[in-house]
Amino acid sequence: MAKEGYTGPLENIGCCCHRIPKSYKPGMRVPGHIYATDKLLESIRKDQAADQVANVATLPGIQVASIAMPDIHWGYGFCIGGVCATDPDEGGVISPGGVGYDINCGVRLVKTNLFLDDVKHHIKELVKALFYTIPSGAGRTGKYKFDTTETRRLMGEGPKFVIARGLGVARDLDHTEANGLIDGGDPHQVSDHAVKRGAEQCGTLGSGNHFLEVQVVDSVFDAEVAKAFGLELNQICVMIHSGSRGLGYQVCDDALATFRNCPQKYGFELPDRQLACAPADSPEGRKYIAQMRAAANYGFCNRQLLMHQAREVFAQVFGRSWDDLGMEQLYDVAHNIAKFEEHTVEGKKKKVWVHRKGATRAFPAGHPEVPEAFRAVGQPVIIPGDMGRASWVLVGSQGAMEKTFGTTCHGAGRAMSRTAALKDGVGRKIERELEHKGVIAMASSRNGLAEEQPKAYKNVDDVVEAVHEADLSRRVARMRPLGVIKG
Amino acid sequence: MHELFEHTADLGLRATAPTLPLLFAEMAKCLLSAMVEEPDGVRPAQNVQLELTGSDREFLLFDWLKELLLRFETDHMLFAAFDVIVTADGLTATATGEPYNPERHTLAHEVKAITYHELKVAEHDGGWLAEVIVDI
Repeated sequence: MAKEGYTGPLENIGCCCHRIPKSYKPGMRVPGHIYATDKLLESIRKDQAADQVANVATLPGIQVASIAMPDIHWGYGFCIGGVCATDPDEGGVISPGGVGYDINCGVRLVKTNLFLDDVKHHIKELVKALFYTIPSGAGRTGKYKFDTTETRRLMGEGPKFVIARGLGVARDLDHTEANGLIDGGDPHQVSDHAVKRGAEQCGTLGSGNHFLEVQVVDSVFDAEVAKAFGLELNQICVMIHSGSRGLGYQVCDDALATFRNCPQKYGFELPDRQLACAPADSPEGRKYIAQMRAAANYGFCNRQLLMHQAREVFAQVFGRSWDDLGMEQLYDVAHNIAKFEEHTVEGKKKKVWVHRKGATRAFPAGHPEVPEAFRAVGQPVIIPGDMGRASWVLVGSQGAMEKTFGTTCHGAGRAMSRTAALKDGVGRKIERELEHKGVIAMASSRNGLAEEQPKAYKNVDDVVEAVHEADLSRRVARMRPLGVIKG
Repeated sequence: MHELFEHTADLGLRATAPTLPLLFAEMAKCLLSAMVEEPDGVRPAQNVQLELTGSDREFLLFDWLKELLLRFETDHMLFAAFDVIVTADGLTATATGEPYNPERHTLAHEVKAITYHELKVAEHDGGWLAEVIVDI
């Protein structure tokens, strides 16, 4: 049974920002800030996500506000679409729940020099080849096998390790958040269970909302930035959405077990056990950080191997090398992660732990962490939508630095529960419906397409409108799906 | 008796049973029903002994389901029948099942993890009730 909706306060404070005052709940150290248009706010009120934003506001060391993006929906502990920055110098905590089980779940966009006319007569063949080549769905293992030592190297070296084996090129790293290697990861602190889970899953898509899509750019909103990103109308792209697979889930699980007694040990209270956390500067906190960073590096490797397989399929279908097809990576972003970043808080520069759970880094032009190729315009932000409507490329903007610790949304956000979507799909042929809309979809699970049907999600265009209006990032280009493979 | 219930992005597992050991067994069956499309098709071919410690019933349920999920992830074992003994400081159990065989088993969901969110083990109507949200 779904819980009733949120009936608490949401005060409009302008620029698409709605505040939950500190007085809403005992223990809130900061207010909640939810970014949304009035239209989206209606759906946000339907579940308990806003209450979860208030719960996060109770975490020790939290700075400014417990923030939520317009694609916010009810999660476990933290809402999905949540941002929480904590200052270790003020007893700030690190929370595995604020990162999520799927550490470094994220999105990679690969460009091609193909256009709609080159692909439209090959799309069925292409989707079929992608579906049968790229392992997807629950229980599937990958074609790349890594032993224990090699799996730890994936975590210690990131995609550089697989690129050295010919599974990509060095320039892929330049277009990956953190260059595909987050410093401070320690693979030797990751449990044997996690390593075992990860050993046979690198290069697999997984299930749930993970996907690989062939997309076409159907609108360009900012010609100058699109040019800098190498995007143009009718161009074909490949979008990959996956994370760190079982390895990341196990790292989170291990940390949650370790953190069970931390509230008592460090003297704080939590309104929900799933918010389990420890001071970032404690033995427990430091250990999780080293493990989480290592798992994040594995996540980059997973998307690298997924991209490599997609490049091989395109080469086979079009009879040209992937290089010749211009299959260059635009960018790769993590949307489930905690990063130690410098931000200005109340006029003072400080380093904080920015938890992004279903939220994307969106650094503006000039930021030193934006790759050189894009530094004049800002960081590419990749926003997957649903498989029937659209996905987006945005660009980071200054507003995000001022309001959301350099963060924007991560996707469309669910509007229907999985069980409701499944019921809604009974008796329908979702593949056929999608084909009528010009989308060829293949999924390994019978229920997967029903659970992930377009109607189950908010309209991503509405979410993007909200982040654009709030200046958390700006519209660059919109893509619509042509072919989808799902787990 | 067990059922899956709604949660926006994930799935809820709920079970009721007359006793605590039966409740743990029922929740394990509920987990299997989230993982495979036809749980009745899982054959009782192998027994695995499990032992867990802990006095908090909710954490014990969490650890029990987590252990079963881990056995699937690492040894590819699906379990369909359970004989559970719950004591004051933990549980011992025999879980019976077989390795995942893609020719006979269709996986329904990839359960990423068991969560603490709204985890519940409570006395209910003269018996027991448990709820847990799993991450999909």
